[in-house]
Amino acid sequence: MAPSLNDDSPPSTIDEAFTENNLQPFFVLQKGPSRKSDRKSSGTGRTRRFDLSSASPKNSANIEDEKEDENMNLRMEAFEFVWSKIESTIKDVLRVINTNVFSEIQTWVHQSFDTIRSLGTPEFPEATQSFPIITDANSKRLFTGLVLTKNMEFVDDLLTFEELGKHLKYQGCHVANLSSLDFTAKNGVGGCLRSLLRQFLMSSLDPADISILASWYREENCNNPVVVIIDDIERCCGSVLSDFILMLSEWVIKIPVILIMGVATTLDAPRNILPSNALRCLCPFEFTLGTPAERMDAVVEAVLVKPCSGFIIGHKIACTQHFYTEPLSVILLEFASEEDNLVFEIERHGLSPEVIWKHVFEFPSCQRVKLNKLTSESLAHAFSELKRLQNQWRAVVLCLYVTGKGEKVRLLDLFCEAIDPESYNQGEFDTNMKAEKDPVLSSSQIKGHVICKAVRLVRDLSTAQLGKLLKMWENLTVGIPEINGKVKELLSLLNVEDGKSSKKDLTVTPRRHTSRIQLNIEKDSKSLSDKAANLIECMVRDYMHPTECIPFHEIFCFKDVDKLQLALIGDPRRGIQVDLLEFQKLLCCRCCTSSSNALLPSMHDTSIMYKLAQEHGDLINLHDWYQSFKSIVLCPNSKRKPRQSPLPKKRKGIKEAESQSEASIQARFCRAVTELQITGLLRMPSKRRPDFAQRVAFGL
Amino acid sequence: MDFNAAEEEEFGFSRNYFLAKEMGSSGKKSARKLSDINVVDEQELREASANIEPKHQNDVADLINSYKSLYPKWVFDLRCGFGLLMYGFGSKKSLIEDFASTALAEHSVVVINGYLQSINIKQVIIALAEILWEQLKLKRKVSSGSLPKVQQPFSSRSMDDLLVFLDGPEMDEKDSFICVVVNNIDGPGLRDTETQQYLARLASCSYIRVVASIDHVNAPLLWDKKMVHAQFNWYWYHVPTFAPYKVEGLFLPLILAHGSSKQSAKTALIVLQSLTPNAQSVFRILAEYQLSHPDDEGMAIDNLYSISRERFLVSSQVTLNAHLTEFKDHELVKTKRHSDGQDCLYIPLTKEGLEKLLSEIS
Repeated sequence: MAPSLNDDSPPSTIDEAFTENNLQPFFVLQKGPSRKSDRKSSGTGRTRRFDLSSASPKNSANIEDEKEDENMNLRMEAFEFVWSKIESTIKDVLRVINTNVFSEIQTWVHQSFDTIRSLGTPEFPEATQSFPIITDANSKRLFTGLVLTKNMEFVDDLLTFEELGKHLKYQGCHVANLSSLDFTAKNGVGGCLRSLLRQFLMSSLDPADISILASWYREENCNNPVVVIIDDIERCCGSVLSDFILMLSEWVIKIPVILIMGVATTLDAPRNILPSNALRCLCPFEFTLGTPAERMDAVVEAVLVKPCSGFIIGHKIACTQHFYTEPLSVILLEFASEEDNLVFEIERHGLSPEVIWKHVFEFPSCQRVKLNKLTSESLAHAFSELKRLQNQWRAVVLCLYVTGKGEKVRLLDLFCEAIDPESYNQGEFDTNMKAEKDPVLSSSQIKGHVICKAVRLVRDLSTAQLGKLLKMWENLTVGIPEINGKVKELLSLLNVEDGKSSKKDLTVTPRRHTSRIQLNIEKDSKSLSDKAANLIECMVRDYMHPTECIPFHEIFCFKDVDKLQLALIGDPRRGIQVDLLEFQKLLCCRCCTSSSNALLPSMHDTSIMYKLAQEHGDLINLHDWYQSFKSIVLCPNSKRKPRQSPLPKKRKGIKEAESQSEASIQARFCRAVTELQITGLLRMPSKRRPDFAQRVAFGL
Repeated sequence: MDFNAAEEEEFGFSRNYFLAKEMGSSGKKSARKLSDINVVDEQELREASANIEPKHQNDVADLINSYKSLYPKWVFDLRCGFGLLMYGFGSKKSLIEDFASTALAEHSVVVINGYLQSINIKQVIIALAEILWEQLKLKRKVSSGSLPKVQQPFSSRSMDDLLVFLDGPEMDEKDSFICVVVNNIDGPGLRDTETQQYLARLASCSYIRVVASIDHVNAPLLWDKKMVHAQFNWYWYHVPTFAPYKVEGLFLPLILAHGSSKQSAKTALIVLQSLTPNAQSVFRILAEYQLSHPDDEGMAIDNLYSISRERFLVSSQVTLNAHLTEFKDHELVKTKRHSDGQDCLYIPLTKEGLEKLLSEIS
């Protein structure tokens, strides 16, 4: 390591201490908490758990640090609070979505259990034998629930199956959750059996024998079904799974096992991976989970649209980044706690008022509004205003959502459109609306606009549908008198109309008039739905302020999507290549930046080598590569022309130095090749082609 | 728009590949041999590679120092329950170890060196369990609670039990975790699926936080979605250091040094040691013959058979052939057509190499 790396500790000792450890497969770098107990807690009574600032003597500058630390800990708390709220909300939503399927499965499990029991329970001597009861093929059938997840992302469903397990356990079943990892060819059927024993008997006995399970079940009074859940059969090893099924089917009288298997693809999946003798043992039933799109909408509704945490993005990494970078994010702790009147005690957040004001004034959203004087009260007022506007926004979005729900309007799309400040600021929505009204203009250009689509839907509604819709709107806008009043007005109008029309229906009228009256009614309802459409239009225009247009939203909004993306999916393939190709940007050295793309001897060796490799085909001739490397390293002013000829003749006097440098160049070449090999950008020469290395990456 | 860009990128990728392929096969392929380079003696090469003068030493140091400002952020992420994954060119070993020893001073830290060839992951987990046990014991003493007695020493427990112990219910003080630093989680010692699965399960334990580094461009292929999203919980950081891969490259052969006597004698030794004593003795006969007849082109098969039979090493031509096939497969022995038309055997090693080898197998 470069010795100048560590300024505040003697570098040599680190080097020495580490070299021995470098060759250990693993070692204990330090044991922490022995000193922990006598750690002093800081002034406010919270333990300072982290040394965020380096060891520091007490002086005035440190008080700021202390405060910063304090604030950091508070932010941590706020993060935990917000995130746990989001997480539990998501879990709840998903659970609710699955309730129906779960209870369906549960009834089926109990029915199947009864069927198995009806085939007879084993007599005592039979039950204590350590081998299965041989009976007819009929009693070897294994009840199997195939749960179609409709989702190739099996990760999304891990939680579902976990919850299903919990649900069934709660209903008195014995449940074991197995995953594809238990069905590997390496461990064979013993692996899954061991896992079953672990989960049912809570012990890890070495001999994995199913008779142990049978005797355990006998002791458990035989009154409850045994459910084995396998979350993704497509990823299981087919032969192991079929062995497992055959084994269970033989024991099914003694251990009434009911299988539940997650299927990501189609119902054919079991047929594709299992042989026919295992398939014959299955007695399949089929259940279907909600589609990923439905789940997504439900989550968006609960987490992003409805007041969940006060925070705008539902990803944990976004959450962390936000709470780390935004000092005022602590306020969320109070914001989220559903209270209407916010009272600020700034000191409580470990920040001095000056710091807060400074932060607040730096928000672009506040500069726009030009708040000239800020006090605690005005800040609190601003926050409650923000909350009010958010509530309005939320109500309008939900109104739009219920309008379009039946017509494949997805909440996610709606949400994206509603939250976009650009279109709001440009009045894009208005122009679209106009285009909508003007039949000539309304063409494919508005097609993508979900909000317009929802509004359009309102116009086409019949009176009855409109009535229902308005009722829903009324419920959604409770607490927002401005909108609620208008909806109520419209609703009463509708009721009057309704009354009229029903009255008209009752009165006997000459036939001739009927059609006309019908026409009238239609016209009335038309005008009513037009009114409703106008209402929602004006709701969208006046009350749907995207959060990003409201002052102070920076506290609640996370917008740095690029950063989020980087943290979520690092791209090592691209990243490492760019490091090598543009290393001078990262190192900020002056010697290697030149206007042309010429390779300079002062550049990093591996970087030179990698750039040279770009000029080769998929195979790199090591000899040529070496020669070009050497020519670059040796001649400072060379114009990137690899010398193909062998070593030029040199005078005897410098031969010594020459061979010396030859050795070092060769060593540098070797090191660079090794480094490229470590990064995986180069494959070493094979026996068949000893003189060529192979390139692996082509382009970034 | 986005879609087009992505598609373009994909096309660019394959286009580059085929262009490169074409360049390689269009006849321009250079026929120069590696042996044309006047390679210095291996000893000298190793010496020189130990003394390579680092370039940009100060810039590299500045770059690494600049990451120090990220330490608090990293700590914050760890406390939030993420694992840190560092990537970018250059050895990140000293960076993350420095991070662990300065910013995580109050936590136990265990370092795994994934660049080594073989690592017993169970040993690591046992060590972690022992550390945690000590830690809990200490804490219980303070809070005057009682800890269940250990029924069994950790070393004799199963992997599942150990992981369950490490995934125990969280203490009131939430961030009392043990930090596991994994240098090169994509390294040769950890690259197999089973180890990665164990690492993933370890990473998801409540008492464990992982800080890992990767160097291989394809490292993410080691993990499936469950491991990435539900277990490792990676938070990616791009932290190129440009520090030389000193330890990491220690076990990789120098490209200009292979084929020399030392290296192949060493591999030959490893192969021979795995063979039966009889096979070793047959090899010895051949080697001794070659040493005593340095001018011969090789040893005739008949000759080898008769000597081996005399010494009761083989019972038939078939058994000898079985041994010879084994030797040839590992390139311990090669055949050559003798000038008188008979096939003969020789060992493709130098005299010194052969002598060294013989002394080591005896």
